[in-house]
Amino acid sequence: MKSIGEIWHLLQKDFLLEFRTGYAISGIFLYLFGTVYIVSRAFQQIKPESWNALFWIIILFASVNAVTKSFVQESNQRQLYFYSIANPIAILLSKIIYNILLLLALSFLTWGALSFMTIDPILKPDVFSLTLLLGSVGFSINFTFISAIAVKANNNSTLMSILSFPLVIPVLLLLVKLTANSIGLIEQDITNDILLLLGIDLLLLAMTLVLYPFLWRD
Amino acid sequence: MVKHWWKALGVVFVIYTLTVGMLVPLKPGITAVSPSSVRTGEQITIQVAGYNSNFKKAQDSIRAWLKLDNERAIAAQNIRVKDDQSVSLTFNIPEYLPVDQRVQDMTLVMDNDADGASLLPSAVFVTQDSIDPAMGQQVWKNADISNLNDKKGITFPFRNILGETIRNTYFHVSLWLAMVSIFIISFVNSIKYLRDPLPLYDYKAKAYTRSGLLLGVLGLVTGAIWAKNTWGQYWSWDVKQNMTAISLLIYMAYFILRSSLTDSEQKARIAAVYNIFAFVALIPLIYVIPRLTDSLHPGAGGNITFGSQDLDNTMRMVFYPAIIGWFLISVWISKLQYRMDIIHARIWNLDDED
Repeated sequence: MKSIGEIWHLLQKDFLLEFRTGYAISGIFLYLFGTVYIVSRAFQQIKPESWNALFWIIILFASVNAVTKSFVQESNQRQLYFYSIANPIAILLSKIIYNILLLLALSFLTWGALSFMTIDPILKPDVFSLTLLLGSVGFSINFTFISAIAVKANNNSTLMSILSFPLVIPVLLLLVKLTANSIGLIEQDITNDILLLLGIDLLLLAMTLVLYPFLWRD
Repeated sequence: MVKHWWKALGVVFVIYTLTVGMLVPLKPGITAVSPSSVRTGEQITIQVAGYNSNFKKAQDSIRAWLKLDNERAIAAQNIRVKDDQSVSLTFNIPEYLPVDQRVQDMTLVMDNDADGASLLPSAVFVTQDSIDPAMGQQVWKNADISNLNDKKGITFPFRNILGETIRNTYFHVSLWLAMVSIFIISFVNSIKYLRDPLPLYDYKAKAYTRSGLLLGVLGLVTGAIWAKNTWGQYWSWDVKQNMTAISLLIYMAYFILRSSLTDSEQKARIAAVYNIFAFVALIPLIYVIPRLTDSLHPGAGGNITFGSQDLDNTMRMVFYPAIIGWFLISVWISKLQYRMDIIHARIWNLDDED
């Protein structure tokens, strides 16, 4: 019960920080709209297949940028302070939840912006929304954990991409497949894919929870 | 010497794999026939190309059939041997076939006392001018396929398309299995390090990951060569090829992570954490995803596994020693590496004390 309270307070802290500075969110949204604008100008006409690829490329890079900040934005001294007053697992979980919400907002905004400027090929919005949810969870867990690793090294933004991209590929492949299904490019039963994606998300979460206690201490 | 028996065993097994695996000949087989499409009511002469065959030597004992199904076959009327690899067979195809399809494929079966029996599935396609199964039943002159000879001596099976590349089983497949075992050892050592942070476990994890990476690259290269010969190109974007490439990237990232950390205790701990995370993330890559999607590899997307059909007992006699051989050699390489690290650490500590 205590750690749920801790998570709640840490989440409030993160949102308050974001609300006061607005630095991270506005930066990411500027990046997002910039990319979507360039993409829609460069491709005069977008086919549904290319829409699928472009969508996930934009999301991938935007989320790496968004999540890298989660551990970098606090100085070592302040992190030490947090670890002394809260459970490390609670800190990690609060970051993961915060990033899930951030990435969800990011995904739906990209969907909206890309549809507004180009086309909206999505035929099954319910399947696509579920895909976005599972994708945000997978990306968030993976990137948050890797950013906790990368922050220990010096050149952490390069290291972040090197370490996380290969690990996120299985999730990304399933997401592209599910998106292709919700566009109507492939017709087949997707229950297995959704379950597999859920399984990978849970596996990553479990590993994160097991391994984080060894990681945060310095 | 007694405690190094496993190194000797590894060397013996690898040499055994290289010699026996490369030198034992393939069983004689049939590579091609021409023409491969015929019509009913014709007398047809088919040129057959043999592989590793001794048609000349076994001239008098050659028999050949076109097999319709397990009960029905027609025997060759006339057999003329050109040389050891080429023979022409004359068949009388009846006016009607006892089947109700327009085009029927037939399997060519050949037998002689030097090469044993060999067959080519769907060697000949017979097109019927008019379909009448009852009529076909009447005119059918059945020939019994019996008293087939066995090939004497040790051979590997002959498979169409695969041909001589079947030997790659001892390299590609066994290197891959050895790699998985080596990565498991590395994974276990990383767990041990987190439970009890002795530098030795870190040296071991690093050394085993390095040899695993070497085996992975070798497995990828031998696989690409095999793919060139059977699927037509080195890289076909097959799901298993992609997953392999990604898993190698993950393990390369492990070394980049190590080199970007300076403090040795921190380096060991974070590398262990990443190694465990990567290994667990790898399981869906290697075992789960390829089973769910179509793949050119055997054992995926409805293809039969390699073991069940294509691995006969002669191949097993090389395949299992090959896995153990590659594994033991990699363990030896890793052992040398981490012992080097131990010596390094000891020398540096001596310097510190001075």
